[in-house]
Amino acid sequence: MRRHHILFALLAFALIAPPVFAHAIGGSDAQFVRNTVGADPFPFLYLGAKHMVTGYDHLLFLLGVIFFLYRLKDVLLYVTLFSLGHSTTLILGVLFDFGVSAHLVDMVIGLSVSYKAFENLGGFRKLGFELDNRIAVGGFGLVHGLGLATKLQDLGLNPDGLLPNLIAFNIGVEIGQLIALSLILVVMTLWRTTKSFGRFAIAANALLFLAGIVLAGEQLAGYFLAGDA
Amino acid sequence: MSEQEQPIAPVQLKVSGKTLALITGGGLVAGALIVLGAIMPAEFNTDPLGIGKLSGIARLWAPDEIEVDTNAAGGPLAREYETAPRTDVIEIPLTDFLGGAKGSELEYKVAMKQGATLIYEWEAVGAKNPNDIGFDFHGHTTPEPGQEMTVASYKASRGLSQTGALTAPFDGIQGWQFSNFGDGAVVIRVKLTGFYELVPSGQEGNLAGIVANVPAAQARPDFKPNQP
Repeated sequence: MRRHHILFALLAFALIAPPVFAHAIGGSDAQFVRNTVGADPFPFLYLGAKHMVTGYDHLLFLLGVIFFLYRLKDVLLYVTLFSLGHSTTLILGVLFDFGVSAHLVDMVIGLSVSYKAFENLGGFRKLGFELDNRIAVGGFGLVHGLGLATKLQDLGLNPDGLLPNLIAFNIGVEIGQLIALSLILVVMTLWRTTKSFGRFAIAANALLFLAGIVLAGEQLAGYFLAGDA
Repeated sequence: MSEQEQPIAPVQLKVSGKTLALITGGGLVAGALIVLGAIMPAEFNTDPLGIGKLSGIARLWAPDEIEVDTNAAGGPLAREYETAPRTDVIEIPLTDFLGGAKGSELEYKVAMKQGATLIYEWEAVGAKNPNDIGFDFHGHTTPEPGQEMTVASYKASRGLSQTGALTAPFDGIQGWQFSNFGDGAVVIRVKLTGFYELVPSGQEGNLAGIVANVPAAQARPDFKPNQP
């Protein structure tokens, strides 16, 4: 019965962790990226993985996506769709220098968490509006990738070695996602076998919905008030 | 029994319309409350509901700081000012250390334009041990939300008096944080002469509401120490 506590701890963490620092690449990492000239794949690989593992908005969305996926085949399908989506916009976004506000992108990412939770709760079915899940996950993948791209662009990457570094970062993101996903899957699989799953599934998705609203609201406030975007 | 066709838990939740409305409505309201009441005051220095001030969360906010090198200032040695110089005596009552941060610590600053000079002289009346009084002589700008704050630190130490002169490195507020670590109440008597303006009671720099040019007993009308 202790298993679901881990999950709630994760959700609680998302609500109380210092939000402003959560998503950006900061401190000495930012310094490193700014000073890098030429291809330097392994540090970028690490940064990509770190960004994904510590980016709880991405993780909460993944949690929402796999909440009711029982077969490994389905998990792989949706995670691949998500990865394709965010890889596309991550690489194209940086290469072609799309200028989008990081706050607005992160707001949509927050809303994607709420969207998935609402979907898990059967909300869209109730409203008579059903979007194919594959399109939704792939589409939000594009937005998540745009979020990753804006973070990298903010750091002023050197054009020398840009593509190899980008690809390394992207591979890092996938590795980080695999690590995080494995952990989430283990917890979810254990939790699903307990009786508490049926009872707490609604509560967990309600919390996910709330977490998404908070993330989105925080970014909206940041867009208007932080004055840095 | 095939595992794939007989999931133990429900594959999709069946939630009644009422519960769904409760979850989404509650989520939106609670989310808005968290953002407006906690995140905005703590991270963005904006407090639309006033909860940040009530709960103290707003005090978490601090602007990014730019430190000024206070020993590397340049500029003309002789300056003329448009305004007349002024003189004030400010008596700041501090309780003994048992009076807590509200009673035994206080910040007092005056507003100065960049390049303006003042001469200061302060002493701790009633204190005997130089270790009993801590002071932090510093200044900073008063930025708008989201802007960075420029700060200058002149001297942080312990002692019973200080005399000297200050030329403000930027438009902003300049002054002292005084702390009484001793076991008796003291009065910090600050004498200022020069080109500056007093900060109105309750504003940044004089949040304690100190009244200038009155005896210590009347200098802090809003504060009643909870001791005889």
